[in-house]
Amino acid sequence: MSAKAYFDALQSRISREADTLNALDAAIGDGDHGSTMLRGSTRAIAAPHGNRAKAFMRASGGASGTLFGLILLEIEAHLDAGEDLHAGLAKACERICDLGEVGTGDKSMVDALAPAVATLENGGLDAAIAAAQAGRDKTTDMAARRGRAQYVENGGRGHTDPGATSVVMLLETLAEVTS
Amino acid sequence: MKKLMNSAETMVEDMLGGFVSAFPQVKHGTSDPRVIKRAQNAKNADEKVTLLIGNGSGHEPIAMGFVGQGVLDANVVGDVFAAPSADLILDGLAEMTGKAGSILLISQHSGDMINGRAATMMARDLGIKTVPLPMYDDISAAPPNRKQQRRGAPGTMFIYKILGAAAEEGRTLDDLVALGEAVRDRLVTLAAAVTPPISPLTGQKMFSLPDDEIFLGMGVHGEPGVGRVRVGPVRDLVGQMVEKLLADRPMSEGSRACVIINGMGGTTMMELLTIWEDTRKVLESKRITAIAPMIGSFVTTQEMGGFSISFLEPTDEMLALWCAPSDTPSFPDIRMEGS
Repeated sequence: MSAKAYFDALQSRISREADTLNALDAAIGDGDHGSTMLRGSTRAIAAPHGNRAKAFMRASGGASGTLFGLILLEIEAHLDAGEDLHAGLAKACERICDLGEVGTGDKSMVDALAPAVATLENGGLDAAIAAAQAGRDKTTDMAARRGRAQYVENGGRGHTDPGATSVVMLLETLAEVTS
Repeated sequence: MKKLMNSAETMVEDMLGGFVSAFPQVKHGTSDPRVIKRAQNAKNADEKVTLLIGNGSGHEPIAMGFVGQGVLDANVVGDVFAAPSADLILDGLAEMTGKAGSILLISQHSGDMINGRAATMMARDLGIKTVPLPMYDDISAAPPNRKQQRRGAPGTMFIYKILGAAAEEGRTLDDLVALGEAVRDRLVTLAAAVTPPISPLTGQKMFSLPDDEIFLGMGVHGEPGVGRVRVGPVRDLVGQMVEKLLADRPMSEGSRACVIINGMGGTTMMELLTIWEDTRKVLESKRITAIAPMIGSFVTTQEMGGFSISFLEPTDEMLALWCAPSDTPSFPDIRMEGS
């Protein structure tokens, strides 16, 4: 399985759900998360072998493009070079927590990514996806501590985090192309 | 609003084309045209630590104007008011860094920090020896006990030049990082905004300010600061700003302060020289000697009116490096009596 097939599938998934992601983001942020993810993944499918995650970063721009790019770099290295998925995603998760100054429970992409990484250590991808989905659903009742969401009413309680939603899509797409 | 440009899509490339064709000290990088690097380097990157910075465009001449002998080795240029992406900075680091290693200077703003630090992490995965050095000096952004949360402001130019001159001497990466942190510890800046800039992206004013008010402590993108003051004789404003700077980082009688008076783009040299002279006199009344000033519009935000005052209390070593010769498109000769 190649990274090319993965990014093709991801772009197709995001293009179907960009409006949903924008709507989730509009409730607690800039309202452009879906557009950002779509711009990045569209550029990634046209990029040369080995440079797809970097192309995603360049095109999506901004902090969230960089943080999602760190996950995609590891997925690309896993698919194209056989790098260990758990080790890669664990490194990405650690870096995202450091750079974004967030941890579990802060209503962010980490709430889906961290439980997926923890599950992946001893379990398969399907179990990791289930953990990410559960983590995503928990963000609905959380108050944000970082980013624009911390300034909206009640820290955005009642709205599911768009970043956590995207992380689930990244992992579901991986299962889709590797199954 | 009037703006002399061709299109928002091409403006950064239009500017960079003009920059490299005008100045023989600089050229485009081979990894990406958004990397601006020295046309020639006396020492190679295996012997000399490389200094790079990434920043959004729209603030010229910083930072590309400081690429050249004695200051920076390269500047990675982002879109207007937007940090360059992490992979673009990575391209710059990979192209420029040799065995001596590199320092990625980062003016502390959230996008620059995330993308810059991510780039150094990715670079280290590739075996590139590089260290990020966050720079911050704006006293209006956080109190002294939370200095590390301050924004990067024009006083960071002290770090560029002092590290640039020290790197030219062949010092090691660890030495330079320690020197950069020491300069950062002795550095304070406070800004005053007079008129808003016009965004080249939207054609709109980036904030509003009544005709008779000045905003103290505003950041380079219009970030909020200390508060509003009435327009009066500029010496009163300067006096108030110097008091705040000295309250934040006291200097004793008999000490020396290197000074930067930076214009934000729409403030005249006539005004900046008046501000320098008033700053010098206020310091003199406190038995502090103002020396080796850098005066002009270097960190700009389009046609924004306003200025900042920065102080560095230098060690002898820092002062010598600050006054060392350089050859870049925009860094001025820094001179003091006897030099």
